[in-house]
Amino acid sequence: MPSNTGQSAWLVALCWASLYSATPLVLAAMGGVLSERAGVVNIALEGLILAGAFVGVWAGGTSALTGLLAALAIGALLGLLHAFLTQQARMNHIISGLGINLLAAGGTRYLNLSLFPEGHQVPGLDGKFFLWIAVLLPFAVLLLLTRTRFGLRLRAVGENPESARMAGIAPAPVRYVAVMLSGVCAALAGAYLSMAEAHTFTSNMSAGKGYVALTAVIFGKWNPLGAAGGALFFGFFFALQTQFQISGTHPVWLGVDWTSPFILDMLPYLMTLAALVTVIGRATPPAALGQEEV
Amino acid sequence: MRERILEKEGLFRPLLSVLVGLFLAALVMRASGYDPRAAYSALWSGATGLQSGPARSPNDIPIGLGSRLGHLDRFVLAQSLAKATPLLFAGLSVAIGLRAGLFNIGAQGQLTAGALAAALVGTLGRSGGGGGWPPWLHIPLTLLAGVAAGAAWGALPGLLKARRGVHEVISTIMLNYIAANLASYLVTHGLKDPNPKNMAPQTALMASSSWLAPLPFAPGSNLTVGLLLALAAAAGVAFLIHRTALGFEIRAVGVGMEAARATGVPVARVMVIAMALSGALAGVAGAVEVMGVHHRYVQGVAGNYGFDGIAVALLGGLNGGGAVLSALFFGALSNGATGMQAQTDVPDSISVIVQAVVILLIGVRYSRKKAAPALVAAVLDTDERREDEDAF
Repeated sequence: MPSNTGQSAWLVALCWASLYSATPLVLAAMGGVLSERAGVVNIALEGLILAGAFVGVWAGGTSALTGLLAALAIGALLGLLHAFLTQQARMNHIISGLGINLLAAGGTRYLNLSLFPEGHQVPGLDGKFFLWIAVLLPFAVLLLLTRTRFGLRLRAVGENPESARMAGIAPAPVRYVAVMLSGVCAALAGAYLSMAEAHTFTSNMSAGKGYVALTAVIFGKWNPLGAAGGALFFGFFFALQTQFQISGTHPVWLGVDWTSPFILDMLPYLMTLAALVTVIGRATPPAALGQEEV
Repeated sequence: MRERILEKEGLFRPLLSVLVGLFLAALVMRASGYDPRAAYSALWSGATGLQSGPARSPNDIPIGLGSRLGHLDRFVLAQSLAKATPLLFAGLSVAIGLRAGLFNIGAQGQLTAGALAAALVGTLGRSGGGGGWPPWLHIPLTLLAGVAAGAAWGALPGLLKARRGVHEVISTIMLNYIAANLASYLVTHGLKDPNPKNMAPQTALMASSSWLAPLPFAPGSNLTVGLLLALAAAAGVAFLIHRTALGFEIRAVGVGMEAARATGVPVARVMVIAMALSGALAGVAGAVEVMGVHHRYVQGVAGNYGFDGIAVALLGGLNGGGAVLSALFFGALSNGATGMQAQTDVPDSISVIVQAVVILLIGVRYSRKKAAPALVAAVLDTDERREDEDAF
């Protein structure tokens, strides 16, 4: 960082890069909050992102709007599958989630290779569009959870399905809707990756962002604003990697090159783990999280 | 735990899952304009080495008089078995965790830790010049390094769960990223191969005294005595789970933590031990890969084995013997898919689709209980909805 003006430009670039790296994480994390507050573990976020990313490009060849809507639809559909498997078929939530992740990984790669052997570029959408949604969505989810009848039911079902049932709330339908909304959010994150960032689909382009979003949810203690904060925290470290790579500086301290992308990639996980163990203390998930049957 | 995530023991459900998986994958191929028959024929040849036509290379064994029934390409079969080796270790690793009710998604990270530690111990004797230490000493030490590193990386989430209530799925996911990045950092900095001609992010070549011998079945293949170690591990795991006090305690914790605690099982300690064992098995997988195949730590040595191990464990019914069969199946499927893509242009990710369908079908527990409509259930209070209460 040579001069003062250069430094402030670098910081401004870092801020924007952080916001954009956080965008897909925030969107997917909101999906995580919706699903987990209703009591359904959603490790399938990763696959839902990937499916949304592919379908957005597949259906969005001519019209970006069609692509976006199709992406959201596949998110809802796979969310429905996850809800069905965990609620109706009584499958362990993690197994269902991992199965859906594999299905999405294998399915999108298969379709991408067989449909677009020469690649497929789409005009796509402006990243700002997704950025705005990512800014507003956490507040919308917070309002939904705390100020609406559906939100109250969703939380009741996640905390204590027995009592909810006694109060006349059937847990299964609420969970179905919650997990489908969760899929829509995750697919939106995927649509951002493929339609706004890359303008094409590449295999496994979600690259673990679903798991990161889930970590952000726990980091934020299942609160939408907290989860968004966690997503921003991870986004900041991802942005640091690219910004340091661009500026090419390598300060070495204690024999470690702290600007190495590997170190910067590792730090937020290390800090989250440390936070879980020390500062935050016991993270208390929704009481009925992971129950196979309601 | 077994009772809580899988249906009854037996071969019916696993076989049905595999058949439905292959059938659905065939439908997908048909829908996207490929010929499923040709694809599966290529996949079969690429998985088993059974091919038509006369024997050509010294690796080929003719079948039937004058190759009338084709030939067996030993190299292809050996590669399938080589693929199954780390899958079996990873599957056993996941199975031990699940038996204790712990979802070890961290086999990936534990495998990386084991591979890196083994690669380092493997280079030790070499700096003195020449062949290093005697193999009878060097090989066990190198394996032990992998075991220790994997066990440590696995025990950590066990400790966090037992002491701080951090869910193991979350901590193992984070430890996967930490292991991958830490290993990448180390092999691009302090532990990079000092040989100036090697620019790749790898450790130095291990001393040949720490290499695992190839099996004299098909020269040039990746098949080593590692497969025999994996089979021994499967027998060991089966014995541990069903015939030892520790295995009983592990299963007790898996069935219900509270009940186990009430009957005097030291739940916290058993959880840490189960995770350490699980990590140790993943660590050996990493060690065997570097000792047998790569002879140094290379990027991507962990492949996708952590997640594949979950499929192996589930299809194998969380049993040692079952894991052997399912690792052989998934190893052959993966190797066969590579051959299929080369011959018929059908993308090899068809094998991943099969794997996904298998996982999703094996986890369904639809039988016995048709869930009553919630309201009816609430009024009659008949369903057994409390059964899964302490799943987490």
